[in-house]
Amino acid sequence: MGQLRELVERRRREACPSDRLRCPSWEEEPGIMETEGSMTVFVCEDSLDGIFTGVYDAWASRLGHRNVRLEVEEEKTLELFCRYTPVKTDMEKAKKVLGTIRERLGEECTEYICQAAACADGRKADAIYRMVVLGLSLEQGSQVTSCLTYGPVATVMELSQKTWHEAHKLMGFVRFSKLSNGILYAKVEPKHQVLSFLAPYFADRLRHESWIIHDVGRGLLAVHGGDVGWVLMEDQDLNPERLGQVAEKEEQIEELWKCFHESIAVEARINPKLQRQLLAMRFRPYMLEFTGERGRERM
Amino acid sequence: MQQVSVAEDLPLVEKLKILSDAAKYDVACTSSGTERSNVGKGMGNCTQAGICHSFSADGRCISLLKILFTNECIFDCKYCLNRVSNDVPRASFTPQEICELVLEFYKRNYVEGLFLSSGILYTPNYTMELIYQTLYKLRYEYHFWGYIHVKAIPGAASELVEKTGYLADRMSVNLELPTAEGLKALAPNKSRGKILKPMRLVQSRMEENKKELVLYRHAPRFVPAGQSTQMIIGATPETDYQVISVAESLYKKFALKRVFYSAFVRINEDEQLPVLPGGPPLLREHRLYQADWLLRYYGFQAKELLSEKKPNFNVLLDPKCDWALGHLEQFPVEINRADYYTILRVPGIGPKSAQRIVRARRMGTVDFEDLKRMGVVLKRALYFITCSGRMMYPVKLEEDYITRNLLSLKEKLPFPVDGDTTYRQLSLFDDCHIPYEDSGGSTEEEVLGIVKGLEAAGNGAAQRAG
Repeated sequence: MGQLRELVERRRREACPSDRLRCPSWEEEPGIMETEGSMTVFVCEDSLDGIFTGVYDAWASRLGHRNVRLEVEEEKTLELFCRYTPVKTDMEKAKKVLGTIRERLGEECTEYICQAAACADGRKADAIYRMVVLGLSLEQGSQVTSCLTYGPVATVMELSQKTWHEAHKLMGFVRFSKLSNGILYAKVEPKHQVLSFLAPYFADRLRHESWIIHDVGRGLLAVHGGDVGWVLMEDQDLNPERLGQVAEKEEQIEELWKCFHESIAVEARINPKLQRQLLAMRFRPYMLEFTGERGRERM
Repeated sequence: MQQVSVAEDLPLVEKLKILSDAAKYDVACTSSGTERSNVGKGMGNCTQAGICHSFSADGRCISLLKILFTNECIFDCKYCLNRVSNDVPRASFTPQEICELVLEFYKRNYVEGLFLSSGILYTPNYTMELIYQTLYKLRYEYHFWGYIHVKAIPGAASELVEKTGYLADRMSVNLELPTAEGLKALAPNKSRGKILKPMRLVQSRMEENKKELVLYRHAPRFVPAGQSTQMIIGATPETDYQVISVAESLYKKFALKRVFYSAFVRINEDEQLPVLPGGPPLLREHRLYQADWLLRYYGFQAKELLSEKKPNFNVLLDPKCDWALGHLEQFPVEINRADYYTILRVPGIGPKSAQRIVRARRMGTVDFEDLKRMGVVLKRALYFITCSGRMMYPVKLEEDYITRNLLSLKEKLPFPVDGDTTYRQLSLFDDCHIPYEDSGGSTEEEVLGIVKGLEAAGNGAAQRAG
């Protein structure tokens, strides 16, 4: 248990705590020198910091909002007559953008934008950029969340909802198993990057426990070391395989759960189609009640 | 005292099997209605919306560890698996065992908390006391602050019910059957008065608690997620109108949070129980839930949806479409101008999309494309709305025409209907004036009588409780 605590504490010390820096140049009106010309595409890293750096760079480029576009790195065919500019993720710039969004567009909007940025959808970067631009042009920035008739805002809302849905589902579907050293360990494979939303939830719920949620697809870990809080890290930094074996008593408890899961169903109402609608197959490989021989029969 | 054979040495797995199997006909498995973050010591929190942790093979949500404390029971309710006259294996948990199960399950995120019900062991008071002890242990010895739903045992002393309520998030007393006559026939040991008494008690205690909380912010909270109840549908001959009228008065007069409906499953061979050839009446249950939502979130009243002349829901259309077709004079609704409650009555628009519409139109004009993105089901809504004075397509506002079109959209039902002959043989396109099932029906007076009886019994119970 102690090892996680140390790890989390160390990580936290390393991270820079000042996240409320404001950049005066960001506050200034951007140059409206909209020159006719080709489109410049800012290609940013697929992360919250990457997208926010892209927003900063696109704005600071003063090419005019009409002539820039944001994209996240993904494999796709390049377009003709476009200039592609790779964005180098810069924590300072990202923090400034986050600070401005918080201050000018409000907490609610910040939440939507962060959720949309976690969604696995290529439209997100540009939609976030346009929403921020619109928000900063309004007298009351927080009203931007009401502008649902503006395409990009509708897109951000749609994407944020997708992320939130999956996060909410996983709050229920995550299954921890106890390792012999007392750590609770769970694997998930979500479509969107939901660890940042799951971690604070479980940090409150299992406040005094040490736990790890492993996003297998992205190679990310959310690590909670008891009362000290949680951090997000890449799984190369901490090999979960080396953490230890599953505890001995575990099998008994898993057996109890499987048995409960089976006996709670009403035979006269068996309805696998409905079950599939509500609990998609993609979640099941990591849920013990659906794995193993008996579990597969239930699918 | 009567001797009961409690097999103490049964392994935990066997007990869990017996006592979860015995609890499965209870419908409520929600963990919603209260928000609480971790209190610091111990484990657990609650979220307002509730969380589903798994889904069983019948497609129902598993949110709580739903078990009986014991399936020993001195009562003989005809519909119940655990009735005294049934020869089934009996078992009982100890409070310790329940606490350990809940904690181990909760830690691994299998469940959101505990749903504890029980058969009546020896006496109602004895059983309620056992439940209280279990909850006390869970809250104050194990410091568990996840969700707890507990049954108030009809006939138990009010002090016991009250002190249990301070430990639980939600309490429920099952109404079992919609009418007092039905209850008399099928549950000889229960009476309407006995069921409504604890219900009224919980209600009045909750109201007092609200005042206490205004004065003292940290006063202990009494049943913060409110109380619920459930009715068995299809075991007795009530009409849908009777059922939703009862539900409505429970919401209004008893301030219930939820009423659950449970399609009757014939578990016991008993001549007093009906034989339903099509299996449990799932479609009827579904329609009742739809109507229940209309009562709670859409501002509808029971008498708007059904009447003595039309005592049952349309099997082919959901209650909201059905209502809209009967009130075409109120449509079309202008999306950019109509108030929230008017928009909410349009088929295909729910509370969420209605809120989005009201919000969005402050900043700009809403068009059909926007509606689609806001989550409005346009294929159903398009007959009833205009955006800036225009309809989506040139459609006629005519009952037969719209009915035909709405019927051709396949309604998404939560269960397969292929094998159901009552549906199939109707030719949808020739005749859309579908006759309602006539089950002999009840008159307006009868329904009012039931509701009045309910109130009177409730008031009586309140006086006795007070």
